[in-house]
Amino acid sequence: MDKKVPIGLKDDGTKYKVLIIDDSSFVIKQLTQILLSESFEIIDTAADGDIGLEKYKEHHPKIDLITLDITMPNQDGLTTLEKIIEYNKDAKVIMISALGKEDLVKKALMIGAKNYIIKPLDRAKVLDRIHSAIIGVNK
Amino acid sequence: MRVEYINPFVESSVSVISEVLGIDVERKEISLRSKAVPVLDIAVIVGLVGQVEGRVIFDMDKKTVLNIVSKMNEEEISDFDELAKATITELGNMITGRAVTKLSEMGYKFDVTPPAIFTGNNMQISDVKMEALVVPIETSLGRIEINVALREK
Ligand SMILES: [Mg+2]
Repeated sequence: MDKKVPIGLKDDGTKYKVLIIDDSSFVIKQLTQILLSESFEIIDTAADGDIGLEKYKEHHPKIDLITLDITMPNQDGLTTLEKIIEYNKDAKVIMISALGKEDLVKKALMIGAKNYIIKPLDRAKVLDRIHSAIIGVNK
Repeated sequence: MRVEYINPFVESSVSVISEVLGIDVERKEISLRSKAVPVLDIAVIVGLVGQVEGRVIFDMDKKTVLNIVSKMNEEEISDFDELAKATITELGNMITGRAVTKLSEMGYKFDVTPPAIFTGNNMQISDVKMEALVVPIETSLGRIEINVALREK
């Protein structure tokens, strides 16, 4: 039987690199565990939008994917999303928030987020949404 | 304060806690408290801003918090350290997020501020003029008091 290829690996065998922006070190830990189990690489993490944007600019264009929280101190996720997209309109950003308000989800997708995950995090759901964002399918 | 505001918070507490922790949750009787201050060891506070203003407090004793964060991290946590703080505040954030989502479906528009945490030593909260509705939630890991104080602008 074929061994399933981890979704964190590109066709050439290198790892997709992820920047995690979230003010909760618990969520960062949870996401890191999920992503590492599928062979993604966590290139960096940031605890608010200001630092997140800085880190994006620092590591770009090595970053393949950004996970972005919404409720954060200093600069919230939507403002950060706008600035990331302004910097690179092709950035692949997935929003991860406890808020599932329709207007908020719509706004994030309109600005340019590829997908939106509502917490609490479910491993299968997270990997599915990230996978579809990577291969360019909106779900 | 209108009673209908508190139900989404109680419902989302029950659903998020049972989902995240995989335990049964029992809702106790609602009561009115004239001073909106927490009474137990550790309080997670989430502010609400917009059409309605106020805050939600998840009030717990230390034992309950350690039980909950140990379960959420799938490891024994016996000190109220940074990870414990991050974990319990995120639980408050998830509960509030789901409640605010429900309230927005009901037509109430407001946003949440990042959660803050208060412990026994610095439990000074200045919105004492607000009345609070309190609903205790009983679980096998301990008791959580959900304390909601809101006012319309
Ligand atoms: Mg957050």
